[in-house]
Amino acid sequence: MFIIRTLSKLATFAFAAWGLAVLVPAAHAQQATEVQVTYSNGQFQPSDLKAPADKPLALRVKNLDTKAMEFESKSLRVEKVVAAKSEGVLNIRALKPGRYEFYDDFNEKARGALNVQ
Amino acid sequence: MWGKRISRRSDGAPLVVFALVAFILVAFGDVAQAQDASTWRDIETKYIFGFTTGSGIGLEGEREFTVESIGRFGKRDGRYRATETKYEFEFTPSQFIQIEFGALGSSHSISGVTDLDDRRQLAFSGAFAELRYLAIERTSTNPLAVTLSVEPTVRRIDETSGERVRNFEFETKINADIELLKNRLFAGFNLLYEPEITRTLDGARLRESKVGGSTALSLRIASNVVIGGEIWYLRHYDSIGLSNFTGDAVMAGPTLYVQFTPKMFMTAAWNTQVYGREVGNPASLNLAEFQRQRAKLKFAVEF
Repeated sequence: MFIIRTLSKLATFAFAAWGLAVLVPAAHAQQATEVQVTYSNGQFQPSDLKAPADKPLALRVKNLDTKAMEFESKSLRVEKVVAAKSEGVLNIRALKPGRYEFYDDFNEKARGALNVQ
Repeated sequence: MWGKRISRRSDGAPLVVFALVAFILVAFGDVAQAQDASTWRDIETKYIFGFTTGSGIGLEGEREFTVESIGRFGKRDGRYRATETKYEFEFTPSQFIQIEFGALGSSHSISGVTDLDDRRQLAFSGAFAELRYLAIERTSTNPLAVTLSVEPTVRRIDETSGERVRNFEFETKINADIELLKNRLFAGFNLLYEPEITRTLDGARLRESKVGGSTALSLRIASNVVIGGEIWYLRHYDSIGLSNFTGDAVMAGPTLYVQFTPKMFMTAAWNTQVYGREVGNPASLNLAEFQRQRAKLKFAVEF
């Protein structure tokens, strides 16, 4: 009984934290700037993207290959699997100026960078 | 039979763990040794510092299942071995917050230790949840990152003695790290405040707290292998308000992180108490609130 009660309290804590995580960014949402990159023949095109600083971004990834790819970036803190011959959009927070590397997690050689100025 | 085998190896378990990780280091480290660090992908810093936690919070949309065991070995006398294992699910719902929760299992093998009952048991010991918030993020122009975390935990088994209790703990931490050399060398820092309240079966209510800090240094020797060392200073109080100081300890030791595949990794650490004191006891080391050695082993799979 003690365990059930405490587990339910912890679940409430986790749910409240999740709500905070989802709702707080939504409340501060601004108009996102769209940036697009294409994935073809196992490479990003272009591999060097540019984006404005301090504005949220919508990064559209078009996968033209016949295999799925996973767009991933530790510095952008996003990942998304994009199925073959389809596209996905990653919503990215307003970024500070700098260089943010990204890659295809399924393909060691496919790399690129987002240059924020 | 099992008991005899355990007693012969009582304080040797950490050595076994490190023999294992040394093997892994050799087996997987060579693969990447010839690579140039500038071609390496960025690394998630959360788990590269051993008991010290890095600032990483994962990637938005990422989910991970981990099993983490922490073993504590050695008291002033007798034989003492205790472990607590976290079966943990963690996910990152936004680019600033990470949430974790899970169940705890514990084991105790205690014999002839002053002030502790002899015990040999395995138990489901409680549950926990953790919220981590990235307060300062690393960029290509700012090498420092800082994360704040809170971790409420409930236990039905006392961590040290293995007795049935009701224990509520609320760990708060500041996890900071700095990239000293791009993709190569990282320093980690933790500040810890951990108050807890324990109600024993006979109705006694005990309040205690632990505060401390750590420094760690980790070197990425291959794209998938990070080695390092850490040092912790911990103070224990018989109150949650940092009065009634009962003793302190310094723990230090090596750390290891190995990334097996892009979605699977392990981390290991081993700390030995190198300094400690108990209030009212002139003997060296603090073995009332802490232990001679502790070891950590964690496996994680992202999906």
